Amino acid sequence: MKMTKIYEGAHQWVMFGRDENKPDNIIDSNQYIVRTANKCLLLEPGGTELFAPMMAAVLHHAPVEQITDLFASHQDPDVISSLGLWDQALSNAKLHAPALWEGYIRHFGCESIEYVPIPDNGETIKIESVELQIIPAHYLHSPCGFHVYDPVAKILMSGSVGSAFEAAGAPVFVDRFDVHVEKMRYYHQRMMPSNQAKRAWIDKVRNLDIDILAPQHGRMFKGDDVKRFLDWFDSLQVGTGV
Amino acid sequence: MNSQTKSQFIAVASITSELSAVMVVAKEISLAAANAKAIAFRAGDKAKGFQPITDFINELAKETIELVTNINVYALLLYRLTVNEYRRTAAYNRFELVGKLAVGAQYADSMQEPITHARTIMQDCQRQFKRDVTQLLGQLEAVMHHARAARVIAANSRIEASQAGEYLQSLQAVAESVDKAAHTIHDNVQRCRIALSIYRNS
Repeated sequence: MKMTKIYEGAHQWVMFGRDENKPDNIIDSNQYIVRTANKCLLLEPGGTELFAPMMAAVLHHAPVEQITDLFASHQDPDVISSLGLWDQALSNAKLHAPALWEGYIRHFGCESIEYVPIPDNGETIKIESVELQIIPAHYLHSPCGFHVYDPVAKILMSGSVGSAFEAAGAPVFVDRFDVHVEKMRYYHQRMMPSNQAKRAWIDKVRNLDIDILAPQHGRMFKGDDVKRFLDWFDSLQVGTGV
Repeated sequence: MNSQTKSQFIAVASITSELSAVMVVAKEISLAAANAKAIAFRAGDKAKGFQPITDFINELAKETIELVTNINVYALLLYRLTVNEYRRTAAYNRFELVGKLAVGAQYADSMQEPITHARTIMQDCQRQFKRDVTQLLGQLEAVMHHARAARVIAANSRIEASQAGEYLQSLQAVAESVDKAAHTIHDNVQRCRIALSIYRNS
């Protein structure tokens, strides 16, 4: 599992992905942690197959007992089907996930972890002194989804938005935006059902100060590529499956 | 899922299937008892010896139905335990893998407690499963006992039927149906016992 520190300040952000031992027939996904002095928030913990390499990778940054919070942007198995395993490994943790999906996500196994439902209009999660804004991203793939914005690190974990499917071992940051566009086009047109929802999200996100846009699949965007992505997404017609 | 776990799931699931067939047959015995009672009543003195047998048959059928109902509840609990054991074992195996993959990680040692905890719970589940299987086998033995008793009653019924003059055929048919039902119950329950016996407490 590749680990890339993407923010280092009073707290840290680390991106995990490109697991070389992943079975070929499951999609690669990005996981993130927000590490504070005594706590660790795991964003998009991943699928069951990914649990062992992911947990082993996190142990380079935090002990098990300090993994206190999990976040799932939506209900899909590549985001959170490992929950039943985290549930047995963590003795004192909370899962922040959409209220709408609670009954669904619990199918993955959630007995000891406390499910903290996120209301439709989002909320703020506090991990020690770090305040993270939970931004609604409904109908941007899932009918109910959320993204995580860290105003200090200026990182937006954008779930499915910005995702692309890459060859194994691809770099973690977009280097040539014009080339990368073709890796994202079909995914966004097919997975995102609503131009109206897309526009509402872009209007909201344009007001945020973002250095890194960090999706759940594929490469992250940094610097000017963030604006390039928003402009490209803005002009893209989505919902092409019908 | 390994082959032993698969067999365990199949064994537990097959109990419910076999027992639902037993339940149908037990209800048939109950019906045969009611039928026999009516025939014996019409036959009067000619079937005097048959009359108390019909009560035995009916009682036996009722007890079998009650036993099977209880076993079905127990089998469902055993199924849930099997699912839980599967989940616990899967978690333990993954945790062990984490331990191997995390060699050299700064906080690798912190995984030791979850591994130990998972192992303990997994072993508790395995022990509980064996205990429950042993108990279930005991309950299945009680059903077998009823099936054997039903066959004895069927044999007595034949003897009594032979004294019943023109009612001989009707009463023999009752005896045959009880005997056949007893055979079916015996065979089905025996299959349950064979499927489970490898998991019992030694």
